[in-house]
Parts: sequence; C-alpha cells; structure tokens
Amino acid sequence: MALLKAAFTVLTSALLLVQTPRASEYQVKAVFLFNFAQFVEWPAVAAPDPQMPVIIGILGEDPLGTFLDETVRGERLGLRPFEIRRYRELTDITACNILFISRSESERVAEILAALGKRPILTVSDGDDFAKRGGMIQFVNDKNRIRLRINLEAAQAANVTISSKLLRVAEIVRTPRP
Amino acid sequence: MSIRDWPIKRKLTAILLLISGLVLVLTSVAFVTYEVVTFRQTIQTHLATRSRILAANSTAALAFANEADATEILAALRYDPHTVAGALYDRNGRVLATYPARAAADLIPGAPEPDGYRFEGGRLVAFTPVAQGANQRLGTLYIASDTKAVSDAIRLSGIIAIVVLAIALLAAYALAAALQGRISAPILALAETATAASTRQDYSLRAPKFGEDELGTLTDAFNQMLGRIEDQKQELQQHATRLEQRVADRTKELEHRNEALRRNAAELLAANNELDAFAYSVSHDLRAPLRSIDGFSQVLLEDYATQLGDGGRDSLQRVRAASQRMATLIDDLLKLARVTRAEMRTEPVDLSAMARDIVVDIQRAAPDRPVEFAITPGLEAQGDSRLLRVVLDNLLRNGWKYSSKRPQARVEFNALEENGERVFVVKDNGAGFDMRYADKLFGVFQRLHSAAEFEGTGVGLATVRRIIDRHGGRIWAEGVVDQGATFYFTL
Repeated sequence: MALLKAAFTVLTSALLLVQTPRASEYQVKAVFLFNFAQFVEWPAVAAPDPQMPVIIGILGEDPLGTFLDETVRGERLGLRPFEIRRYRELTDITACNILFISRSESERVAEILAALGKRPILTVSDGDDFAKRGGMIQFVNDKNRIRLRINLEAAQAANVTISSKLLRVAEIVRTPRP
Repeated sequence: MSIRDWPIKRKLTAILLLISGLVLVLTSVAFVTYEVVTFRQTIQTHLATRSRILAANSTAALAFANEADATEILAALRYDPHTVAGALYDRNGRVLATYPARAAADLIPGAPEPDGYRFEGGRLVAFTPVAQGANQRLGTLYIASDTKAVSDAIRLSGIIAIVVLAIALLAAYALAAALQGRISAPILALAETATAASTRQDYSLRAPKFGEDELGTLTDAFNQMLGRIEDQKQELQQHATRLEQRVADRTKELEHRNEALRRNAAELLAANNELDAFAYSVSHDLRAPLRSIDGFSQVLLEDYATQLGDGGRDSLQRVRAASQRMATLIDDLLKLARVTRAEMRTEPVDLSAMARDIVVDIQRAAPDRPVEFAITPGLEAQGDSRLLRVVLDNLLRNGWKYSSKRPQARVEFNALEENGERVFVVKDNGAGFDMRYADKLFGVFQRLHSAAEFEGTGVGLATVRRIIDRHGGRIWAEGVVDQGATFYFTL
C-alpha cells in the first residue's frame, strides 16, 4: 500500500513537472547548488575520508525549502553522499563544502566572508554584487534565467578549484581593488 | 548448339572461366560485404567518439542550463558534413539546444530515446548520456548522421570489385585460352588421327604423343590398337587371297565334275532312249507272232473242235486268253513308251469336262454297273490334253474298277488348295490299300491285288506318274484297306 502511494506521488509530481515547464527559481538554484559539487574540487584535506559526505550548508533564512533536500536525495559524488545543513550562526559552520548564503545575510556578507577566510568552502549566494564583494559564485537573474557570476580569485585564494567547464558557462568578475 | 556438342577447347575454356568467375564473384561479394560492414562499424565508432567528446564538453551547459553555451557546443557539428542534426536534452528530457540552431521540428525527436547507436530511416542516430565524471546523469546528447558515407563506400567498393572482377576474368580467359591447349591438343590430335584412319581406312597412321600423362597413355594405346588393326588387316588380306585361290581351285574342280556329270547324263539319256526304242520295237515286233498264235488258235478251235476233244479245247482257250492278255500288256507298254517319247503341247485344259467324257465312255462299256460319279465342275489346268486324258482315264477307271465290290460305289473328282498350290483329288470307296505299300503303287508291273481279284497289267499308274513328272507335278496316294483310296496330283 505504501509502495503504491509512493508510486502515485512520483507519478503526480512527474505530471506536475510536465505541467509546469519552467521550474521555479529556487528549484533551479537548488539543482545548481547540487551540480556545483561536480565541477568543483576541494583540497584533499577537506575530505580525508573518501566516504565523507559532501555537505551543502545554508546560512540564514532558507529560501530553498525542500527543493534542495529533494534534489540531493539518494545522490552521491563518487562514494560520498550528500548532506544538507542549515546554519543560524557563523560559528555553527564546522565542516562544509558548499555554503549558500541567504539574502537575509546580505548585510553581513563581508563579515561572513572575512570569517570564513581561506577555508576551502565554495561560497554561493544570490545577493547583489556578492561576487564583487569577494563571494565565489553569485546567482544572477537574467530574463527569467539564472546566470552565474564567478569570482575566480576568491576561489583560488580559498584553494577551491573550479572546473573550466563551469567557468565557460559563467561570467568571471574580480574584486575591485581599492 | 547444345553445350554437349561444344568443341573440347571451348568446354575447357568455359569450365575454367566458370570456376574462376565463381571464385571471383564470391570473393568480390565477400570483399564488398566486409568493406560495408567495416565501414559501418567505423562510422559508428566515429560517431560514438564524437558524441562522447561533445557530451563531455556539454556537461556544464546542461548542469547550469546555459542554452547559449549548449548551442555553441553543438554548432561544432557543422565541421562534419554528414551530421544532419543534433540536440541536447536536460535531465528532464527537455530540449536545451539544437543543431542547426533553428532545426526543423521533424529533425529532432521530442524526447530522448534509449542510449545507443542505430541506423534508422537512412540515418545513423546516436543517443549519448551526458554526465560529469562518474556521477549522476545531466542529460542526453542526440546526433543524427546521414548514411551517404556508407552508400559512398558501398559504391566505391562495388566499383573496385567490378573493375577487379573484369580484369581478373579477362586474365582468367587469356590464361584459360592459352592453357586449355595442354589438354585439348592431344585429344584433338587423337580425334584427327582416328577420323583420318576410319575415313581413309589407313591404319598406318599414328597419333602424335605430347607427354607421359593419361592422355599420353591413351595415345599409346590408340597407336597400338591401330598397329594391331593393320596387322590383322594384312592377315585378313592374306586369308582372303588364299581363300580366293581355294575357291578358284574348287570351281575348276566342280566344272570338271559337272562336265563329267553332263557327259554321264547324256550317255544315260542315250541309253534310256535306246532302251525305250528297244522296248518299243520289241513290243511292236512281239505283236505279230502273238497275233499269229491267237489267230491260229482260233482257227484250230473253229475248224478242229471235234477232233480236239474237251481237254484240247480248254487248253486252246487258255492259250487264247493268255495271248490276249499278253497283247494288252504289250499295248500298255507301248502306251508307256509313247508317253515318254511324245512331244508336249501345253494349253489350258478343262479337266472337269474331260472327266465327264471319260465317265460316259466307262458307263457305255458297262451300263449294268450303277456307280455314282461326283465331278466338281470348272476344274482347269495347264498341260498337254492328250496326256492329261490318259491320267484322268487311268485314275477314274481305277476308282470304278476297285469299287466294283461295293453295292454303293462312288468315285469323286475335285480339287483343294494346299499351301497355295492346287491339288486335284480322285477318290473312291473301293478296296483301298495298305499304306505300307504306298510307294510301290507307281512302279511298273507293281500290283497290290492279283489279276484274278481285279484285272490289270500294273502299267497304268506307272504311266500316270511319268505324265505327271513330265508336267513337273507330283502325285501321291492315301488309302485304308477296304475303306477306299485317294489319289492326289499337282501339275
């Protein structure tokens, strides 16, 4: 019975998917966050155990809802499973690979980035000028599409390697020199 | 001309061409097939490689739904003239980008199909998974390539195969025409020699020998055969010559013998004639004294009857009877001699009419004997009428005579056909005879009955037989004692 219900749910969600050709903005962002893991390499120290989970963290108010959880469910990067963590405070962030900084934290971006320092964490946000302010990847809304803006220097400084393929589909920006 | 009647030269060439042609065609087919299969595999491999490279390049574009980038990546397909269409589908099966950028709807399937490569409707299509590393699938790459390259390859290998086939067949024909002589030449030489030997009957000919193979053996055997025929022909000629000599010798010998026989026959004829003449003159000369004996016996009986007494009269009566019987005998003998000497005149004779005349004579002489004569009318024959009358007279009179002791005497004269030959029959129901003595019937003085029983001289049937002999016919008789006799004769 439970199986049948699950099958029904999958079917209706699939139908829903067909009926709404344009996925909602945060649905797309959730998929992008998940996909980043495949185009980014962290230094070996960040994952001494090959089975250690890939941790995607969300700092601040979570606009993604359940989309991200649904996206990563059952997925693996090599042997590594995915794990979602939601942080209230900066201090909560211990081991993390990809950190999504919510718009709610826009005011504190400089502070947060400074606090993270050179830790090998891929920082992502959809806040304005996030990349120019030292963030690594910024979601930019462009005519109902989501584009990427990447601050390569910031990533290199944190020893996070971004695949050239990812760079190819993104706009590269620099932190303006004062 | 049926193949069976082709000259050996042509047959050999045809066989060689057929075999090499078959081998060449099979080889060519194998070559073309191999080429086509290999080429298909090759272009499939090429498409697979191209698809994988493109798929690897398009991961980010798919992962981050970058249509512009995806379109740019697909645009690289224009460097392959055989690529007809291409498309990238995201993980949900939606088209992200196409090649050409504004592709006709029918060029791009609405949704990705199962991964793999297949020939479909004159195109080679490939569906390749797009994934980054060993991870979750990002989408599907579709590429459709036309198969013109394949048909070009088929055409090219076909042309090559046909050209090679033509050249190889020409070469095979040239070789066959040149090499068939090794086999056909000895056979043709044999055939020529055989024809010459049989048409000209010249067995001194010999077939030329070309080698020590089976044909060489055949040639040897044939030549030996010719030699033997030649020997036998000579032997036969010698035999024939010898035989001719022998025939000539025998012929000469036979001629000698014939000559001797002819001489003998002439001598015999002369002797016979002499004998006949002698018999005739003797008979003739015997009649005069016999007439005297009878005449004077009569005188004695008439004039001196009283002096003679009963015994004397009786003796004289016997003398007279004996002399009269002797006169009859002499008459018959003269008749027989005349039959032999008489000249033959052949003419158509009505035997039936002749028989009726004779019967009238017989009945006039003895009107008191009731004998039934049955004469089939219209029986005719070729012969001497005078002599044939003697024959019929003798036979009918015999029938009449030997049936005298029957109350219902009957004599028939008719004819029957036997083996296409006409046989005349005179039949009576009289005393008949024993068949053991049938061959004695026609001898002179041969009698089966005593004169007391049936009077007669024993010359009649001998005369009949001589007449039949002179006509070239046959006569024979059948009889049973007391059941009658039947005489058959031919003319």
